[in-house]
Amino acid sequence: MTTTTRQPREATAPPVGPPAPPRGIRRHWSEHGLAFTGPFLIVYALFLIVPLIWGVRMSLGNDNIAGTQSEFVGLDNYAEALRDPDVWSSLGNTVWFTMLSTAPLVVIALVMALMAHHLRFVSWLWRLSWFAPFLLPSGVVCLLWLWVIYPSDFGFADQLLAAFGLEPGIGWLTDSRYAMLSIVLTTVWWTVGFNFLLYLAALQAIPRHLYEAAEIDGAGGWQRLRSITLPLLSRTTGVVLVLQLLASLKIFDQVYIMTGGGPDDSTRPILQYVYQTGFTGYRIGYASAISYIFFALIVIVSLIHLRLTRRSREENAS
Amino acid sequence: MNPSSLSPPGPSRRALLGAFAGAGALAAVGAAGCAAPSTGGAGRTRLRYWHLFGGGDGVNMAAMLDAFRAEHPDIHLEDATLEWGAPYYTKLGMAGAGGRAPEVAVLHMARLTGFAPGRLLNPFDLDLLAEHGVTPADFPENLWTRGAVEGRQYAVPLDTHPIVLYYNTDICERAGLLDGEGRIRPIEGREAFTEAIRAAGEVTGQPGLVIETLGADTVGPWRVFSTFYAQAGGTLLSADGSEITIDEPKMLDVLTYLRMLADEGLIVPRVDYQGTVGVFSAGETGLFLNGEWEVSTFTNTGLPFSMARVPNVFGSGAAQADCHSFVLPNQDGRGGATNEAAHAFVAWMLRNSVDWASGGHVPAYLPTLDEPDYLAMRPQSEYRGVIDEVALDPPAWFAGSASSMWLELGAVFSGVLIGTRTPRDAVDEARSRLEDLLQTPNPFGESA
Amino acid sequence: MSALTAVRNAIRPRGDEDSGGRGARWTRGRVALLACALVLAVLWVLPLAWALATSLKPEDETTDTGLHWIGSEITFNAYEQVWASGDLTRWMFNTAYIASMTTLLTVVLTAMAAYGFSRTEFRGRKLLYGLVMAGIMVPPQVLIAPLFAEMVAFGLVDTYWGVILPQVATPAMVFILVKFFDGLPRELEEAAYVDGAGRWRVFWRIVMPLSRPVLAAVAIFTFIQTWNNFLWPFLVTTDPNAMTLPVGLVNVQSTYGVRYAQVMASVIIGGLPLLIVFVFFQRQIVRGVAHTGLAGQ
Repeated sequence: MTTTTRQPREATAPPVGPPAPPRGIRRHWSEHGLAFTGPFLIVYALFLIVPLIWGVRMSLGNDNIAGTQSEFVGLDNYAEALRDPDVWSSLGNTVWFTMLSTAPLVVIALVMALMAHHLRFVSWLWRLSWFAPFLLPSGVVCLLWLWVIYPSDFGFADQLLAAFGLEPGIGWLTDSRYAMLSIVLTTVWWTVGFNFLLYLAALQAIPRHLYEAAEIDGAGGWQRLRSITLPLLSRTTGVVLVLQLLASLKIFDQVYIMTGGGPDDSTRPILQYVYQTGFTGYRIGYASAISYIFFALIVIVSLIHLRLTRRSREENAS
Repeated sequence: MNPSSLSPPGPSRRALLGAFAGAGALAAVGAAGCAAPSTGGAGRTRLRYWHLFGGGDGVNMAAMLDAFRAEHPDIHLEDATLEWGAPYYTKLGMAGAGGRAPEVAVLHMARLTGFAPGRLLNPFDLDLLAEHGVTPADFPENLWTRGAVEGRQYAVPLDTHPIVLYYNTDICERAGLLDGEGRIRPIEGREAFTEAIRAAGEVTGQPGLVIETLGADTVGPWRVFSTFYAQAGGTLLSADGSEITIDEPKMLDVLTYLRMLADEGLIVPRVDYQGTVGVFSAGETGLFLNGEWEVSTFTNTGLPFSMARVPNVFGSGAAQADCHSFVLPNQDGRGGATNEAAHAFVAWMLRNSVDWASGGHVPAYLPTLDEPDYLAMRPQSEYRGVIDEVALDPPAWFAGSASSMWLELGAVFSGVLIGTRTPRDAVDEARSRLEDLLQTPNPFGESA
Repeated sequence: MSALTAVRNAIRPRGDEDSGGRGARWTRGRVALLACALVLAVLWVLPLAWALATSLKPEDETTDTGLHWIGSEITFNAYEQVWASGDLTRWMFNTAYIASMTTLLTVVLTAMAAYGFSRTEFRGRKLLYGLVMAGIMVPPQVLIAPLFAEMVAFGLVDTYWGVILPQVATPAMVFILVKFFDGLPRELEEAAYVDGAGRWRVFWRIVMPLSRPVLAAVAIFTFIQTWNNFLWPFLVTTDPNAMTLPVGLVNVQSTYGVRYAQVMASVIIGGLPLLIVFVFFQRQIVRGVAHTGLAGQ
């Protein structure tokens, strides 16, 4: 993949300034730098840097939510977290959800994008039906799906099953065998449209002449898909995949609203455990320690992401 | 671009100042409390009240609040019904921490120990309460003292709400379980209870008893277990809440009995809280063990039913219970007219708690217990004798309604009822989870 | 080709993308494809349709078994009840206010910062920019505990600013805008300097108008994210009067127990604002999301 796939518009916008600016105006480029960046930097420092550092301090203390105690306890919280089976089980649930949800969220999105792209017909319909759920707040989505799957005798999903002659009465959210799958189902319905859009955008960037050439060579539809489309999408797939991993690891809303982490904590993700220890259980110091363990996991995935984008940027530049 | 339209580099400093002034203004506005705008009218005292009552309780509470509003035109009462259980207590604690909490709220008495009295809650002013006609002598002593910490009163009890036995009078009549007056005959001992369930089940051709067996944050299994375990004389923790005192044979005995009921098909399998209410309300089972608060649900549907104390199955008439109480969540700078309104509100609610009792709860305010209106209330006054024998949680910071202890143990006992855990396994797991809770440092320090 | 470029190429103004399809032949394969797509579309619309159908039924028919899409009558009773309770209007206002303020502040602050980083040489620029870029890796979710403690200390719990300010600190948006400004030719600005304009004048009068498409993308993405955000508003608001729509919907229970038609009516009302906006601004939103989506989050 090289610059041949780029369209010429970027070329008219060179990323660097003209070679030699007239001497008189050079000073302008060094004026007010801090004034421009200052306001953002203040907000950024107050609400990202400060909590990031304050959190480290809290994770080393026995702080409670009421702020009545804040003694330094060293690494006790971290030691406790590593011994706490609930930390491991909720981390496990988080990873399990991520594994279950990522594949369908990427594959279905790709299939949708391919369909919409190749049909080139009523494209508003595909965008509306597949992407619109992404615009709904999680609270709305979860209440909606609770109503669709939860009530065991008159729920829509069960009645649909019954209509197809299958056994209704599945404990969609009350049976630990199905609860996580129900959460995944809800999530796929809700957010697949986002990945769909990213894929669609990538597909539309593939120059049509590549296909035309292949058509002249007598390549069939499948062949074109395999030898042109999918290879050209591989970079997008990499990025979508990592973004999806990051998003899935941060699962909270759906579980909190739909199962509260149950049955018997079988769906509780790590963020909910942080919430429970810190806010429900008031141990905000311990909750911070768990947060940083989770953060480590996120950083690992983010570094992979960074590598991917950097590599793609370098290739792009060449 | 027309150059003449561009003025000389004057506005830069102003823009810079503007940017910082803007940032400063944000902070200032925040500090000045850009809270969500209040809707209180001019000249009226704004009184915010949070509670967690849904269902029939919610309807009763709404009616009482309307009556209070009608009698107090000078008070603007704003009530909020938050999601029951852990979500409610999380919000209440966070509001107390944030210092912008409501003036008055409801709290389960058994949660008081864990609610940082003094930091997340402010104490009552007993003189102010007395001015509005409510004194400590108006309450059972054990309940009143439970609301006090280090000599200050943080919780004023409203009611006691035990587990009771609901029975469908039609089904039980046909099963021969009623006496001449249409009341359920006393059941004593586990064989008798098993037989009663079997008899009720034979009438409908379905399990005779329904109890909550599963769900998210399920506490029903804990309530039923706790009732029978208390009847057998078992305890979980020492009186000061510092040591585990589990009586394993008794615990195993109770769990084995519950498992037997499940295995024999005597209880409705796999049903969550809403489901239990639905099953009983549809007349599918004769017996139902649950808190007394669903009474209005069944009264409204016209179901033929009544209520009684939980039968003495394991050696006493004890029943698991907790108490609703009023508390004053922490406000930075509590006092003045709003605080006085909060005290007036609490006193008014207590003096009118006969209306509250119609929702099934046994009033804590002694004068109400003797009111003819209360005594005439059926079935709400049938089981009032239980308050001398209620099993309250030990005073541990992790105990009380919807506490981590309830949720942890509720999930374990749920496993016994739905067959994913053996009773033996559940005993071990319960002990281990209780140990974990005891080892967890009290977030508010040892003194709390 | 980077994904970012792909997106940028895709969102550039072009002819109607349907144009290629109008003339295309309806081969058997294409019909099959259409059928599959329609099935998927129906599957995706079904839950929403069921919610809508439920909300229009009389309350006592919502729990009937059997798939009845339409009750004995079509009634807007549930909507009236939900609306009359007043909570939804309050939450809707809160959400709109918070989302607008967050969007405005984000656009202005990140654009200024990005311009400063992209176009200005000042001491510590590289270091500060590196610091901001490192922040992209910090998900706000891991900061909830200390951030809440900070809000308690600042007295911002249950205030609008408590919800807004932490959501403004989004380094990803600075990154997107820096990339954009880097690609902008400097000639126009220089011409303005020659004519004696100052930096702020140039920024507000030349750079900002030129950047309208990318600013719109940032604004749209920020608005959607803020409107729908759950975790942070959920934590920092405890007073139902201060809650946003998504938070209020799940935290406050109706006094009269579970009324499914009413719950579904509030779901429909809660979802409607952004859906309506989407119908009218489909193209812009699709572009905005695709553009910021890859680099953002």
